[in-house]
Amino acid sequence: MKALQDKARELLAGGAVQVVIGYGRGSAAAARAVFVREASAVDALVLDETCLQNLAVYLRKPEVRRLGKAALVAIPAVLRTILQLAAENQVSDGSLIALAVTPSGGEVVPLATLDAVEKHVAGLDFPRGAAEEAELRKFAEMGLQERRSFWEEQFSRCLKCYACRAACPLCYCERCTVECNQPQWIPVPAHDLGNLEWNVMRAMHLAGRCVDCGDCSRACPVGIPLQLLNRRLVDEVYERFAFRSGMAVHGENAMSTFKPDDPEDFIR
Amino acid sequence: MTLARIGVFVCHCGENISATVDCAKVAAEAAKLPGVAHSVDYKYMCSDPGQQLIQSAIREKGLTGVVVAACSPRMHEPTFRRACAEAGLNPFLCEMANIREHCSWVHEKGEATTAKALDIVRTLVAKVKKGKPLQPIQVPVTKTALVLGGGIAGIQASLDIANAGHRVILVEKEPSIGGHMAQLSETFPTLDCSQCILTPRMVEVAQHPNITLYSYSELEGLEGFIGNFKARIRRKARGLDETLCTGCGLCTQKCPTRRIPSEFDAGLGLRPAIYVPFPQAVPNKPVIDRDHCTYFLKGKCRLCEKVCPTQAIRFDQEDEIVEAEVGAVVLATGFDIKHGDFFPEYGYGRFQDVIDGLQFERLASASGPTLGEIRRPSDGKVPETVVFVACAGSRDPAKGIEYCSKICCMYTAKHAMLYKHKVHQGKPFVFYMDIRAGGKMYEEFVRRAMEEDGVQYVRGRVSRIYERGGKLVVKGADTLLGARPLEIEADLVVLATAAVANAGAEDLAQKLHVSYDAHAFFAEAHPKLRPVETNTAGIFLAGACQAPKDIPDSVSQASGAAAKVAALFSRSELVREPLVAVVDRQAPPVYSSCVGCFLCQGACPYQAIEKEEIRNRDGGLIKTVAKVNPGLCQGCGTCVALCRTKSIDIQGYSHEQVYAEVLALLNRGEGDA
Repeated sequence: MKALQDKARELLAGGAVQVVIGYGRGSAAAARAVFVREASAVDALVLDETCLQNLAVYLRKPEVRRLGKAALVAIPAVLRTILQLAAENQVSDGSLIALAVTPSGGEVVPLATLDAVEKHVAGLDFPRGAAEEAELRKFAEMGLQERRSFWEEQFSRCLKCYACRAACPLCYCERCTVECNQPQWIPVPAHDLGNLEWNVMRAMHLAGRCVDCGDCSRACPVGIPLQLLNRRLVDEVYERFAFRSGMAVHGENAMSTFKPDDPEDFIR
Repeated sequence: MTLARIGVFVCHCGENISATVDCAKVAAEAAKLPGVAHSVDYKYMCSDPGQQLIQSAIREKGLTGVVVAACSPRMHEPTFRRACAEAGLNPFLCEMANIREHCSWVHEKGEATTAKALDIVRTLVAKVKKGKPLQPIQVPVTKTALVLGGGIAGIQASLDIANAGHRVILVEKEPSIGGHMAQLSETFPTLDCSQCILTPRMVEVAQHPNITLYSYSELEGLEGFIGNFKARIRRKARGLDETLCTGCGLCTQKCPTRRIPSEFDAGLGLRPAIYVPFPQAVPNKPVIDRDHCTYFLKGKCRLCEKVCPTQAIRFDQEDEIVEAEVGAVVLATGFDIKHGDFFPEYGYGRFQDVIDGLQFERLASASGPTLGEIRRPSDGKVPETVVFVACAGSRDPAKGIEYCSKICCMYTAKHAMLYKHKVHQGKPFVFYMDIRAGGKMYEEFVRRAMEEDGVQYVRGRVSRIYERGGKLVVKGADTLLGARPLEIEADLVVLATAAVANAGAEDLAQKLHVSYDAHAFFAEAHPKLRPVETNTAGIFLAGACQAPKDIPDSVSQASGAAAKVAALFSRSELVREPLVAVVDRQAPPVYSSCVGCFLCQGACPYQAIEKEEIRNRDGGLIKTVAKVNPGLCQGCGTCVALCRTKSIDIQGYSHEQVYAEVLALLNRGEGDA
């Protein structure tokens, strides 16, 4: 924590960045995002096991961009998000400094270029916990009908509050599909069909892009395990295309890359 | 916006539709659909009175849209759109409801069939109500053609295009044009000398004011679209200044490295390290083979430089990249034949006297290594018995080549004949599966080989070839005589090995975004009706790069491709249907709902999506968004399906139109009809 505060102070005092986006103490022992703009205010920065939010979500917000160049406290999932956003032309080189950290502490690695982020990410592991593996396995063993009723039950609680969308750093579209009303592809009310369409559509839009940070599940006020759906797609994309999102600055997109030499054996 | 006034015109198509669909009922029910102002049926809507029916309704009833319920839009959409345009309605406000292929032809007569026809009409009425008037797209055309490959197909295409008054850039990867035809001795079915008919054409190419010839060059890359391609051509370093070289040949005579197998003689002859492939080469300028030249290998020699009377040798010459703007491309890259260890059972590549068809051509050719005498490679002896094996590799699923190589039956008959003409006492045998001699004077030619020249035809396949006492033992079976096993002791065996695509064909196809088949032959747009076009607009096919072909077929196809190019070049602007994708643009401060993720860019099979920077009046960047190049877009809709913000739409098939069609089906009976 001390190392992080020192680094933030140095960057702000030297004018290298105008804002440090990091974690501060929130209510009920939770961490929340803080935007430190003065070297004297760096004491507000904290770093511990509660620091899980994907702060990259703020990179594309115009009000944050207006603050100037940012240093972003970046846990491993955030680093991958930065790379994925770069691959989608949403962050440009030199527009930010990533301060690579782990929630458990340790050293702070400042990464000033996207290439540096890519190199750093290549050296990281992204292990899954035993509980996560068990959840995926249990889901994989369900039959189609069982899966359908599982999700129908889960989605029946969806309020269409779009907290998942607000929390997701890859949901940066200025006009979401649900806001397209000429024609209205996804119905607005929170009824069963509309809920199913919304959640399936969001999952499909994230297929091959999601970096598995888990903010969707944490944001959901009614506890729908949205990350399970996205994680399952992460695995699916890896199995089919040997592709992982957020690993390269100039990464391709698994779901939208046309190749003339594609064997296309699924339509033969 | 005015209220929709849609006209519905139901066609009987003689009895094609009316036999199973109650057309009068469809018209009567369609009249009740909201927005339909006029609805009639008629026996032949595409006929002149039928079209007049539509035109007068447009004029008299002020129709805002037309639905013609008839055949497939592929059949008559242009007809009806033209008729509507003549009557003053934007042609893209005319839609076809396909109640023939999609309904009457595939269903029994009955109420359900009539109901389905009405449903189809219903969806198209809903679609045309959401339609917008569209204007055709105009694209400029660069009237220069790029021809890839200088074999007979490329030569013919180049000459035809050039004679039509357009400029041609002909690119040939070898040091000389001429291709395989230059290697041949005589040609079937007339037995006229191949070089004698080809070389005048080669000279014509070199001298034609409209043709720029880049020999010893390869295509590096091609960008752009029909009428507007940009080609990058690599001119490989010949090692000499072509403007100074007079082609005197002194360097090739003095070169000390002389024992390199000649590609032109199919490995049967030898050539020096600085060489002209054959005496009639066009251009008649040598090339330094850097893999064999003593100077490039050991750093000294430079004998050619010393003897050159015009000081044309340039050892330090490097490859040069030439860029050219072209409007059309003709692919005429030709074919190869199967070589090497593909036939272990025949000992090809192991026994010197088992040769392939092209090697026999060189043996029989007056310009070949034996000056036209048939002498076998191993000891130069004139062979007394020659066995020709047809279908070596072709028509053999076990070898992975299911297709017929098409030319082998004919050239094998020719080979046997030429052998007999040169070695009167010789005994030629031909092993064959079937004789395929479809073509003008072809069957007669094969008959002549059998009946007049006494070539022994054995119907059966050869299982093995091995050496015994200086002879090649050919083991086969005569299937016309009860599969009787047969052994022939031969002095020379000629394999008619399968014709295959060139080694680089697949790479080239990918470079040009042209589709190709499982054997890497380039794919035509339609096997019957569009045989010289590819699926990529502006790229045409000629010759054996599409499939094995003989000379007459290659030449015909080349002229066909040239005609297509000339038609394309006949106008200075190209008119295209505006059914292309368009990225959303709107008033500030939004400018566009596109967020510029450019995932659509990688998905587009036609490279039609570009980046556009929207700037304010001071030149400051506001945002970078996608833009579709209407010249390149084929309207496939892949980008539309991918775009998360639904910022891309296809004109003529917009989200609103498709959605309206679906809703018209789902909500039928609810308030409308």
